[in-house]
This record gives sequence, structure tokens and C-alpha cells, in this order.
Amino acid sequence: MADSKEVTTVQAATILISTIIGVGVLPLPLFAVRAGETGAPFITLLGITIAAFGLFIVTKLGIRYSDKSIITYSEEILGKWLGRFFSLFVIMFFAILTALAAREFGAVVITAVLLETPLEVTVLVMLLLAAISARNTMNTFAYIHNFYIPIILAPVLIIVALSLKNANFLNVRPFLSSNIEDSFFGALTIAALFQGSFIMTLIIPSMKNPKSAMKASWWAIFISGGLYLLLVLATVAIFGVEEIKRLYWPTLELARTTSLPGNVLQRLDVIFISVWVIAVFTTIFATYFLTIHSVKQLFRLQDHKMLAYFMLPFIFILAMVPQNIVQLYDVIKVAGRAGLLVTIIYPAVLFMIDVLKSKRRKKGESKQA
Amino acid sequence: MLLLVITLLLSLITGCWDSREIENRATILAIGIDNADSNAEEKEDEINHLNGKIQIPEGRMIELTVQIAIPGRIPLGPQIGGGEKSPVLVVRAVGHTLEDALLNIQQEVATEVFLGHLRLIVLHEELAREGVGRFTDYLRRNPQIRRTASLVISKEKASEYMEIRPELERVPSLYLAEMVDSLIQMGKFPPTFIGMFWSILSSKGQDAYLPYFKIKGKSNIQINGLAYFKGDKMVGKTQPLQIGSFMAGIGAKQGGYGVFIKAPEMEQVVLVRAVKRKTKVKASLKNGKPYILVKVHYESEIEEVDSTHPSHIKKEYLPSFEKEFSREASQSLEKLIAETKESKSDIFGFGEHFRAKLPKYWNKQVKTKERWQDIYENLSCEVEVSTKIRRTGMKAK
Repeated sequence: MADSKEVTTVQAATILISTIIGVGVLPLPLFAVRAGETGAPFITLLGITIAAFGLFIVTKLGIRYSDKSIITYSEEILGKWLGRFFSLFVIMFFAILTALAAREFGAVVITAVLLETPLEVTVLVMLLLAAISARNTMNTFAYIHNFYIPIILAPVLIIVALSLKNANFLNVRPFLSSNIEDSFFGALTIAALFQGSFIMTLIIPSMKNPKSAMKASWWAIFISGGLYLLLVLATVAIFGVEEIKRLYWPTLELARTTSLPGNVLQRLDVIFISVWVIAVFTTIFATYFLTIHSVKQLFRLQDHKMLAYFMLPFIFILAMVPQNIVQLYDVIKVAGRAGLLVTIIYPAVLFMIDVLKSKRRKKGESKQA
Repeated sequence: MLLLVITLLLSLITGCWDSREIENRATILAIGIDNADSNAEEKEDEINHLNGKIQIPEGRMIELTVQIAIPGRIPLGPQIGGGEKSPVLVVRAVGHTLEDALLNIQQEVATEVFLGHLRLIVLHEELAREGVGRFTDYLRRNPQIRRTASLVISKEKASEYMEIRPELERVPSLYLAEMVDSLIQMGKFPPTFIGMFWSILSSKGQDAYLPYFKIKGKSNIQINGLAYFKGDKMVGKTQPLQIGSFMAGIGAKQGGYGVFIKAPEMEQVVLVRAVKRKTKVKASLKNGKPYILVKVHYESEIEEVDSTHPSHIKKEYLPSFEKEFSREASQSLEKLIAETKESKSDIFGFGEHFRAKLPKYWNKQVKTKERWQDIYENLSCEVEVSTKIRRTGMKAK
């Protein structure tokens, strides 16, 4: 890669955090409650663990090949053609992920805020923004994420803190309440919300000090996972399990139920929505960036700038495929779980093959000597 | 390329799809819902359905009375009470469902109906006794509705509350909404708002409750008790003082009610007011049967001594007052529990304690809300109250 290596460890962590926190925060408590009833926080924790495992592998692999991303080192591990074949899947998946995030964003915005605005416009504007920003280099990319992270984290924490006055902690008990199978699939759905962390494979080659990538990964999972867990705890404690099952976006309702003390603002959903728009933007921006850079590396292109606009119509059309909100969430669930094959299983397989290969290589060397 | 830029820019000058100026909105501040008269069906014009052609929902028709804010007449800043011109417009319509009636109202109002500032929904008691579940769907679905709006039950027709003109505030519905808020702050009523009502309504181990209003005199409104529900149907109401007992049962911290206490040592009665309370609810199984122990601790103060003849409070009297107060409080709470048991309405949420703390029992024996309501009818329950009187006011004697 020709990029200068200037991304610091803190920047790497913030990129991960703001990429992970995205559209998913809104339906997150619903997913968790559907799978685990009052055990929702536990399911979330399980999901975070699975996601952490995936990120751990991706980072480990990245450190072993600290100059390359998964697109390039997979060719080395699996052989040229097999590696390219799987890289196509990675690219396709992240194109779909970008499209679905944009679509979910559009769906929320036109149901909750801008009732008259056409869906196409909200989706297109968001994608266009991401495409324009994705033309930048890795450094600018890192700066943009770094800049937005306090704006994303602080308001969410404030809303959770303020809302807790209506909390009833009987609602989160008993802590474990569903069978193993449901818990597992629920945890997979939650883990799927963390898939943006795959961006790590693209960051490592640009890091000043790739060895500290692991530290960045841990911090990122710790902070974003902590925030997710807090959100699930707060929504379940405030609404109760049965009520959450009736809400599409419990986190948004949480903001709607919360008011600033002293009647300054009687509902905080306006603030929350604007913060959430930023969070969604950083996520879509990152997955878009990942998609076009992967394409660039796969086809050995010199420049990614024109590619940003070239991809736009495809992603937009993908985003328009689901017919309605019910279908949209079905697709998100299926795509999310299938995506775990790409973001966790595939790197895990790569990692194992690589370890075996290097062992054999060592053996071969020692025999020769 | 230039053409592309121009077309893109052109699309921008059409402006914002969702821009609506304040004066182009019919901002609804409060809604009153009543049962419609029996001849309502004839009154409704064919707006959302053609008569006899399309399936219409069963159940009685409702009459909706709404207060719409008149732009420019809502005063900003400090308010000078009761101007000559009313700042609100009252509109009525009938309908089969809430949205049906609202659309009928829309048909009469030039500007677009806007529910984002809705502060209060008043339900007539008669209608609440038939069930409120039919209104929750629309209110949950509509993104404009605030979850912090208040929902109250009225003794009189809800439409009367929409037309009442309180002297203390120019905007009637704001006065009513503020009243609910300040009652909560003063400890006269446990926290309640529509979102909370929904949460309790959907929970499995608790039944909902709402404030119960009554009109006093020409333009005063009194909080006259607590309406309690079984499922989505109102089944009874308490006396105002029993709200205090109820708050003790659910563990609301803020105390607000006072009672007269007569201690054997003293001839006069004293008024003792609860300031703070702490409640512990213990759920357990006794011989396989659910058993609840409610422990309440009051922090109180003496507010008034009936002083027809001179007297003063001695140090030794205080424990006796405390004992009396505890006895009164526990009796009153037991009575309230007994009353709600009779109506199978677990407003205290004891069921939630069993669900949370004894999941095995709950999953085996209870599982549904209806089953819990049946169990609640025969629940064995004990109340323990302790009191500390900390202050006696500014008077030394």
C-alpha cells in the first residue's frame, strides 16, 4: 500500500467504535429481548463475546501480515484464485451491509421524523455523503471518525443516565431466562451488529505501530460493547420485556420518554436522532470505504476515487430491494447471521491454515538445517 | 457534467418536504374521549368508510373532543390569567376508533392536525370500564405522540374537561397537564405518564392505574382517587387518601398525605404527614403458595395539633404517635390490598416480584397475566409498618 502509515492506536480504536455503533442501536434491545426475554443483557454480553472473538482473529491475522489487508493476504494463504474468489464474497457482503444500513436509516427517518420526505431521497443523500467522504485517504478517514466519536458517545450516555430515574430493576430479573438454542441465535444476531469491526483489516496496514492493533481492538470492543450493554439494560429496566416486544426501536422510545430536568427539553428524541444520524453516517462511511478499497486491491487499481461514485448506483439499488419494513428486518437478520461466515468464520479458517503453514515451514527449515 | 450539476441543484430549490410553519398546523393540546350517543352512527359522515359497505370495527363508537391551540393566542413567558379570548378551539367528532375520529376532525379543520404537543388525554370512566386497549395501538404507532403525555380518567364526561376554563392558567389543557405533574412532585400521586401506563399494561405481573379526576365547583378540578384496572378495563377507584397507601405499597419515595392521629396520652388529635417512605417487598412461597410481605418505613412530621384547648407535645408522646401512625397506615394499606384483591387487580405489581425473584414458580404455575390475576385474588399478604417522627415544626411546644 502506498498510503503513509500515520494512523495512531487511539485513532484505530475510535474508528472501530464509531463504525460499530450504527443503525443497530435502535432495534438492538428488541433483538435481545426477542431472543432472551429478561435475559436480554446476558444475550447481549454473549453477542459481544462472539464479536470480540471475531475481531481478535482479524486483528491477529492483520498483525501477522502487517502490510496487507485480508484481500491481499488471503491470496497468499489460500492461493491466488481461491483467495480472490473469497474476497469477492467479502466485497459483496460489505456492499450489502452498506445498502441495508442506508435503507434501515431511511426507514427510521421517514417513519419517525420526516414523514413526507421520500425514502429514496434520505437513502440517496446518506449514500452520496458516504461516497463523497470515501474519496478521502486513510488519514482523513481516521480524522473524521476521531472527530465524531465524542458527539456520538456523550449524548447517548446522558440520555441513558437521565432515563434511569424511571427504571424498575425488577424488569431485568431473572437474569437467565431462555433456552440455549434461542440464546445462541440471539447472540449471533447481536454479534452481527458488530460486523463493522472488520474494518480493522484495512486499518492495520496504515497504522504507525501495527503491533498495538490488539490494544485498539480490545478498547473498541470494551467501549462499544459497554455502550450496547448499557442501552439494553436501561431499555429493559424502563420498559419491561413485554413492552419492548411491541416497539420497533426501543432505544428511540427511550429518548422519547426521557426529558431534561426542569422542562428544558421535554423529549430528547430530537437530540438522539441527530446523534444517531452521525453514528449511522460514520458506519456507512466505513463500510463503504472498506468496500471500495477492497475492490481497488482485488483488481490492483491505482486509485479509489472514481470507484466511489461507480459503486453508488449498485449500492443504492441494493438498498431499494426490500419491499417493506417487515421484509427489511427479515433480510437484516438473515444477512447479519450469514455475514458472520464472512467476518468471523472465514478469517478463523485463514488463521488456522496460516498457523499450520508456518509450522510446516518451520519444520521444513529445521529439517534442512 | 454542468447539466448534471444544474439538475441536482434544481432538485434542491423545491425545499424541504416536511416543512410546516407553526400557523399551518392545528396543534392538538388535549384530547377527551367519551362514549358516543346511541345515534352517533347517523351523525358520522362517510369519511373513512362508506356505511354498510366496508367492515367497521365492532364496539361502541366514541366521541372525541380536542383542544386545538390558536396560533398567536398562546402567550409566551409569564402569564396573566384568564384573558377574554380563549386561546384554544374546541372541536368534536365521532368515530369508530381513535384515528377514525381524528380523521373526521381533520375533515373539519383547514390545517394539518399535529399531535406533537399533545399533553393530556382524558378518558371518561364509563369508557374506561369497557376497556382502553383499543386506543393504545394508534397512540403507540403514531410517532408524534409523546410517551410523557398524561392519561387520566374523569368522573364527568371528558368533553367537559375540554371546555373548562381554569383561572390560574390561560391554556386549559396546560393547566391540567401541569396539575398532574405537580401532584406527582408533591407526592400526591405516584409517577404516571402514558408510556409508563403502557409498560405496566403489557407487563405480566402488574395491573395498571391512573389518576381519577373530578370537577369541583365551576372550574376546579380535584384528584379524587386512583382508578385501577384489570387488564385494560377499569374495575374500581380508591379514595384520595388511599393513594398514599398505594404509594407505600409500590415504594414511591415521596410522601405527601397526612392523617389525623389520636394518641391515648393526649386529648387532641394531631395531623401527621408522611415525608419519606421506604418499602421492601418480599416474595416467597409458603407451602407452595405465594406469600407477600410488605415492609414500609415512614419518616414523618407533625404538621398541626388541634388546639381547641391548650396543649403541647411531650417527648414521651412521640413513640405513641409513631405507633398509632403505623397502625393507621398498615390498616389502610391492608384495606386497599383487600379491595384490589376482590377486583383481581394487582396494581402493586406483586406478580412482578414473583416473576423476577421466583422464576421457577412463575414459569410452572403462572405464566400469563390472567392466571396471575386469579392467583392474586387469594394471595396471602402481610403488612408491617414502622414510623419515625423526626420533626414537629417551628412551634416549640
